[in-house]
Amino acid sequence: MSGNYANVEPAKGSEDPVNYHEPNMSSDWHVHGNKITTTSIGLVTMCNSMAEPSAHASAPVMDSFGPPIWDQSINGQNSGYCNMNVASTSSSLGAVKVGMGWTPNAMLSEGMFLPTVPGGVPQSLPHFPADSAFIERAARFSCFNGGNFSEIANHFPVSQSLNPHSRGLRPMRGPDEVLGGNGLKAVLGMQSQRHQMHMAEVSNEALIHGERGTEGSPFKNEKESERFMLSHDEAKNGIDVSGNHCDEAEFSGGGAQEELDQECSGKGLDLKKRKRTEQKTENNEAPQPSNETAADIRQKGAQNPSSTSNPGGKHGKQVPQGSEPPKEEYIHIRARRGQATNSHSLAERVRREKISERMKFLQDLVPGCSKVTGKAVMLDEIINYVQSLQRQVEFLSMKLATVNPRMDLNMEGLLAKDILQQRAGLSSSLAFPPDMTMPFPPLHPPQPGLIQGGLPGMGNSSETLQRPMDLQSALARGGFREPTSQHMQAPRVWEDELHNVVHSRFNSSPPPNSQEPTDPLLLGHTKAKP
Amino acid sequence: MKNPTTNPSSSMIRTRFAVRFLHAMKKLNKKTPAPSPYRRRFHTIRAAACASMACAVGPRKAWSRAILKKIRARTLHHYLINKSRNQQMMMIKRGNPRDEELAVGFGYGEEDDLRGLVPGGEGMGFCRLLSETAHYIKCLRAQVQVMTNVLDHYSST
Repeated sequence: MSGNYANVEPAKGSEDPVNYHEPNMSSDWHVHGNKITTTSIGLVTMCNSMAEPSAHASAPVMDSFGPPIWDQSINGQNSGYCNMNVASTSSSLGAVKVGMGWTPNAMLSEGMFLPTVPGGVPQSLPHFPADSAFIERAARFSCFNGGNFSEIANHFPVSQSLNPHSRGLRPMRGPDEVLGGNGLKAVLGMQSQRHQMHMAEVSNEALIHGERGTEGSPFKNEKESERFMLSHDEAKNGIDVSGNHCDEAEFSGGGAQEELDQECSGKGLDLKKRKRTEQKTENNEAPQPSNETAADIRQKGAQNPSSTSNPGGKHGKQVPQGSEPPKEEYIHIRARRGQATNSHSLAERVRREKISERMKFLQDLVPGCSKVTGKAVMLDEIINYVQSLQRQVEFLSMKLATVNPRMDLNMEGLLAKDILQQRAGLSSSLAFPPDMTMPFPPLHPPQPGLIQGGLPGMGNSSETLQRPMDLQSALARGGFREPTSQHMQAPRVWEDELHNVVHSRFNSSPPPNSQEPTDPLLLGHTKAKP
Repeated sequence: MKNPTTNPSSSMIRTRFAVRFLHAMKKLNKKTPAPSPYRRRFHTIRAAACASMACAVGPRKAWSRAILKKIRARTLHHYLINKSRNQQMMMIKRGNPRDEELAVGFGYGEEDDLRGLVPGGEGMGFCRLLSETAHYIKCLRAQVQVMTNVLDHYSST
């Protein structure tokens, strides 16, 4: 599923950058990525949710859009930039826009921008030339917003404000800054044309990617270098070129731009697009050289993102601290040797791996399934097991309905017994010493101490433990009829459990009816302890 | 005999469930002791077991959320009745060999069955369904253990 690239986040608060795109674009962008996806642009935001099982979506989108990946590097700045790109694509800008929208995604996903082309990609994206070089350019383009340079430049100052946005937002702005800063326009211009088409496509995909794109850069730039399938020589060249531009931009734009630039270049290479379109196939051929280049660039970019991503406070909840992009949202997969690498199959593979991993876990749970192979049979076994467990519960409840407990006060004993029996090795019931009837008051002092034994995470159940309070007291009063022949070993764990059970009692106000020590169990425990 | 499930999380769930369930049982036994109509007691106990389990797990899991939702809507009783009815149907249906289904990859018939078994399983993807199933199985096992202990205790005393 094409991730939820709703990059919307990129819309970063500054909204301004978005404005330049198109009025609808900006609005989309402003909003969070969600809107963008919904918009005609259909830009796929970085697939934040890539991490989710349905992550496979991103791949297809990104395929065509290689360059957008590099946006991630931009992350902080790019967010604004991306927005621009996205917007542009939708509008007449075309590719540029795509880049914009895409960048935020890229930034978010740190490279793995799985642009899942949303159905509504309005921009008339001409076929994306399956050209890795093109991808590079597009990446750069998005970074620099080649086509719509002027537009972007205008928004350049705006991008600054975008920073507060999540990482995704920042990347958007970055391009603005970058653009304004340097004279890359010229360079970008030529590339932009090509990128436009490419970017538009990518941005669309990117938008779909990662609804949470803005939150953080799901794309892990660092990792992307490896994953980046863009191994095209041209891409490499493109990256180099962009790198140069980036440098220039840095000087001009200052720090923010720097990050952008580096990120752009790095990101462009690293575009970690989970899914690559046909272009990827080309890239695969020569992945090594470009990957390395991308890796280098990415490294630089990676550092930048951390700095840039921080500003995006708003959406930055997931802001990956630069170097550690929120992996949870985005899962990067590397195409294995000999395996198909188009976006769809990649996503499928991820999904299949997840499913098989869960099936394996289930196999351990369900007894007698180790020898079963095959999903269908396994699933059958699981269903049978669940059904049998449910039937068991029903049967037990039927029996419980017919059984009449002889003593009402046995609840506490039951509880203790259950707990004990559940404990490893404790087969005997509570081995409360017969002298439970001993004066309780003396027990009080030790109780707090026992309680301090620790309540393992029973906090939330404290209220439920309140109920056993009366049980406890009842137990104490009713005397403990449980077999006390066996000594309670009082393992640490039992003590903890017991504490959990009775802890609420102690924590809360003293039980109304407890004349005896609130915790007969504790009493027993203290006694039982060797 | 060592209890296989001794990891802290399942023992926590077990304890919580045991506490709630015993409390409910106590209340029930006070109100309607055993000689009273077994059917009603049976239904109440079954609902109490289900509800205690869901409360013990909390809203962390989708299946427990689904049950809690039903409890709040006071439709748990109906839900359980329909569920047992569906299970009987399922048993009849699954009794027949379904080779053709097995031949089809995952056999979506099974997936739907699983969705019907796990509460709240309709609205999630297959991958998520599997993890929910895993947790649900763990909790069911704990439930069976606790209820068995309770029953033993009742019978022995």
